[in-house]
Amino acid sequence: MTPRVEMRGIHKVYPDGTIALRGVDLLLGRGEIVGLLGENGAGKTTLMKILSGLLRPTRGDILVDGRPHQFQNPGDALAAGIGMVYQIFALVPPYTVLENIILGREAAGVLAGVRLEASRAQVLRLIEQTGLSVPLDVPVESLPIGVQQRVEILKTLYRGTSVLILDEPTSALTPPEVSDLFAFLEGMRKGGNSIVFITHKLREVLEISDRIVVLRGGQVTGEAPTAGATPAQLAEMMVGRAVVPRVTRSPKAAGEPVLAVSDLQVANDQGSPAVKGVSFDVRAGEIFGIAGVEGNGQSELVQALTGLRPHTGGSITLNGAPVIHLNPLDLYRRGVGHVPEDKARFGLALNFDLAENSILGRQEEPEFVGALGRLNWTRILGYVRGLIERFHVVAPGVRTPVRSLSGGNQQRLLVGRELSKRPVLIVAMHPTRGLDVASTVYIRQLLVQIRDEGKGVLLVSADLDEVLELSDRIAVMYEGAFLGVGAAGELSREQIGLMMGGVAHVGEAP
Amino acid sequence: MRRSLRFLFYLLGAGIVLILWGALQWLGLQPISLLEAGLLAMTPLALAAVGECINEKAGVVNIGLEGILLISAVMGVWTAETFQSGTVGLIGGAVTGAIIGLFLGALSVYGKADQIIAGIGLNVFALGFVPFLLVNLWAFPGIHLFPADLGVPRIITPLGQISPVTIGAIVLAILAHLLLHRTVLGFRITAIGEKPEAADVGGVRVDLLRVFTSTLGGALAGIGGAFLPLGWFGGVTDEISAGRGFIALACVVFAGLEPMLALAAALLFGFTEGFSFAVAVTPGVKERIPFYFVSMLPYVTTLVVVALVIGRRRFPSTVGRPYARE
Amino acid sequence: MTLDQSRTAVLGRALRFAGLRPIAESLGTIVLGLIAGAGLMLIFGSNPIAAYSALFTGAFGTVADALETLAFATPLMLTALTFAVGVRAGLFNIGAEGQMFMGAIGATFVAGLIPLPAGIHLVAATGAGLLAGGAWALLPALLKVWRGVHEVISTIMANWIALFLATYLAVNFLSEPGRAERTTPALETARYPVLNEDASLTAVFFVAITFCVLVYFYLWGTRAGYGIRLAGENPGAARYAGVSARRAIFLSFIIGGFAAGLAGASQIIGRPPAWSLYATMGNVVTIGFDGIGVALVGRNHPIGGIAAAILFGALQQGGRLMEYQAGVASDLVRAINGLIVITLAVPEIWSLLRRRRAR
Repeated sequence: MTPRVEMRGIHKVYPDGTIALRGVDLLLGRGEIVGLLGENGAGKTTLMKILSGLLRPTRGDILVDGRPHQFQNPGDALAAGIGMVYQIFALVPPYTVLENIILGREAAGVLAGVRLEASRAQVLRLIEQTGLSVPLDVPVESLPIGVQQRVEILKTLYRGTSVLILDEPTSALTPPEVSDLFAFLEGMRKGGNSIVFITHKLREVLEISDRIVVLRGGQVTGEAPTAGATPAQLAEMMVGRAVVPRVTRSPKAAGEPVLAVSDLQVANDQGSPAVKGVSFDVRAGEIFGIAGVEGNGQSELVQALTGLRPHTGGSITLNGAPVIHLNPLDLYRRGVGHVPEDKARFGLALNFDLAENSILGRQEEPEFVGALGRLNWTRILGYVRGLIERFHVVAPGVRTPVRSLSGGNQQRLLVGRELSKRPVLIVAMHPTRGLDVASTVYIRQLLVQIRDEGKGVLLVSADLDEVLELSDRIAVMYEGAFLGVGAAGELSREQIGLMMGGVAHVGEAP
Repeated sequence: MRRSLRFLFYLLGAGIVLILWGALQWLGLQPISLLEAGLLAMTPLALAAVGECINEKAGVVNIGLEGILLISAVMGVWTAETFQSGTVGLIGGAVTGAIIGLFLGALSVYGKADQIIAGIGLNVFALGFVPFLLVNLWAFPGIHLFPADLGVPRIITPLGQISPVTIGAIVLAILAHLLLHRTVLGFRITAIGEKPEAADVGGVRVDLLRVFTSTLGGALAGIGGAFLPLGWFGGVTDEISAGRGFIALACVVFAGLEPMLALAAALLFGFTEGFSFAVAVTPGVKERIPFYFVSMLPYVTTLVVVALVIGRRRFPSTVGRPYARE
Repeated sequence: MTLDQSRTAVLGRALRFAGLRPIAESLGTIVLGLIAGAGLMLIFGSNPIAAYSALFTGAFGTVADALETLAFATPLMLTALTFAVGVRAGLFNIGAEGQMFMGAIGATFVAGLIPLPAGIHLVAATGAGLLAGGAWALLPALLKVWRGVHEVISTIMANWIALFLATYLAVNFLSEPGRAERTTPALETARYPVLNEDASLTAVFFVAITFCVLVYFYLWGTRAGYGIRLAGENPGAARYAGVSARRAIFLSFIIGGFAAGLAGASQIIGRPPAWSLYATMGNVVTIGFDGIGVALVGRNHPIGGIAAAILFGALQQGGRLMEYQAGVASDLVRAINGLIVITLAVPEIWSLLRRRRAR
């Protein structure tokens, strides 16, 4: 029987010379869920974007039901029954759910009116068939991420797709929501549809897929039926060596609080409360980890603690002294180092060279500045070379733009710079997101090292494994508040998972 | 937000009209001629602004409106003379504007050009190309007059003369409003202005739509440009646009990309221009107010209006940024 | 080899040519512009070869011609700086026109109407030009910081207002008695020394270059300059580093205003034989807009701007001979300038062209 989809010899080379895919073959059968596994940057998303028509392959063929196709646009792939749910949702924020679902298939001529009511019946039928319930007349931007994802899926299914591609669909979901999604996918599979499930999470791919394909460096490095596959096997195919090494952490008695937060309230960009009265402290020589799905106020909390956003209520105390509306520079002087969640947006100036990035935040210090505000380049160059050496940053030179460094090296430079500020507290948010394995392990080891040196570390991460591995104490953040705080080992993984989803109030009062 | 905005605008407009009316009486000017001049001045502004509303709704910004006005003015007159008809001249202007709009649109969409710099470049180009054209087409530098019967004739009404192009501009503004709010095309245009990815994966051709809106906006501005000599001044100079392209941009910003509000803004700025013309030609008045200060009025008004009313307006998040797929 | 490593390898190779690539791109766009200009000439029946040979001869044919080129380059490098400093701070300051008018007025006023002792007069007149230009630039700066007004609109409006204001002042207060078409010429003590009797090049050329070099050292060698560039490169990182966005905006506009003001002054107290401002503003108009193309070709860099200004100055000086000898209107040079700007609006224009050829 002909496979539903066949991708043969897919190559993708970008204009700047980057090779994303080197001859990848992929088969997809009817009523099958294929898990596409790999590290960040392995090429999984690129491959699927080619299948969904968003990108064009440099070389290679795509066959659907045995017939060759050339997809110039997503519309072509949709016509062939292939649709993709992207990691960053492709929804128009101010449009309602119904409007988003019918965008592109409005069942009317281009100059005719938009037939909302006529389409509504059809959409309602689809909702009933799939069991994905969504409110139709609410602007999409006001919905939680889990619901938005359902809208994305409905939007794809509304086009009559029978091949569904999902890109890292669980990254923004709570564990209960993940279960619902998996149940839905099971239903789709039984109905004879084909599904490609892109992920880097071993546990998930073992749970949901029938067959696993592993990509590394743009090539297929392994393929196996799910039954009988082991995590160790898969990890080796993914990274070329056994499982990602765990970072060890010896128990340590914590000292005095470095950071004390009491009933902190912070508003978001729209003015509504994002952090609703949070209290905790971070002690010297400990890593305090905040777990939680993105979008529950963590960004606003971190911004308030690092001077990028004013707080609207409560208090922040650093080393015993209150912090009132200080800007990031003042906070650095008080000993706060910040590894931001989005280094391209806050932590680095990508088009500046390494030397100029190394003094980001330190450009006012007397060590680097001379008379009349003159920058002392000799000292700066010496300093940045020291950073490069100490933190093993791989770079062509000190004067090359930071943009040309890999993500891991950029992050090493950033963390090294923050550490050189001799902070008493390091606030690290998603510090290893998107990094290669070596850098991930290195950064995590650095954080433990900082903690061993007696500094305080506030770790905020959506990666539950990371939080569990590194933290001495853990808090779970949900909708702007802490649902539970406990020492490592006090709270089970299941308990934390439930709290991330808003269920149950467990653990010691902070 | 929208309701309070409209109210504020009416208040502002009413206030300015009252002040002007009082000033007129005091100065001894004719309100009718002011109305005439105001509507004439409104026309090119409205045409360019309405076209740009549609364009910016799709996320493309055309800073080169000034250049389109200039070049279409010259090409409009040339077309009119070649075909011995003012109306055909207007069409010539529209075609010129459409071609330039198409070029800029393609540059932005396929070349991923910085739209603001490309627009500035077009304006500088026009600053040199138009005098070049004047010399090469008519062997006379700086200015070219044409026989009055080639111009677009005006309609006589009890309230003074009005040009059919003015009426056309109002009709086009209404059509643009309907297009954006009541058609599938407008639905998609607004979508690609807010989040082109969403439309792209839904099968909407973002690139084609953006090139289309750029061409359409250029065509409308082109009619406005051709109108300047053919429907109003009777001749074309190398400074005939006098910053109107930028005033049109201010109209668009002020209107929050709504064609009807842009029309109203164009009316407002048109009146200030009409006022300065009226002052400049009325005996007894022109000696009392220095010509230079009155000439400044449209530009000062634009600045004041933009400064007072702008605030933090909600724009489609992608205005000015090229859309790339990876 | 992982994806990361392959990417670094390719970039490493490319970076070895990084220094030359921007220069090659800039020169390439000039060639493109000239070719397009030739096309326009052909459409209207002129001879591009005759025109361009007149152009090049006129620009560098004799020593006097070359010096005249430098005289044209002088205000251009400054108005280019206005735009370039704006871009570095993340702004589009296209108000050099108006800022230049006001600078010319300021210099005319002090140079022509206020007698002062020899050395001081020149410095005062120059300073008046600088300050007037800077003051005029404050208007869009304040509007941006206080009301969020986009500077493209505010600077253009300011340009037009300045045109009328300057003309009004020139005609009514500063005009030469008996000659309405220009202002009182600068007094002897306020004139820059002429470098060569055959050309209109004066020592103000060196002042302009010095200004550009000083701005370069400011932007890349001081922490304030670092802050300005950071604000333009990445506003988020600028906040993170404690850089004040407002300060960056003000500084950028003021420096730009100073540069344009100096350009305006240079046309009065640094340009024989008139040493005054025409009532039509003829010796200061369009130099502001021309500067945009110069800035872009110079990659928005103060020193690059000097080189680009000399190139464009050559085009302007040569354009005069082109008009006289080959009959092609010198406005075509401005049209070419605009085309160059449009070409430079496309990022990676070079790689785009290269890919075309590879296919």
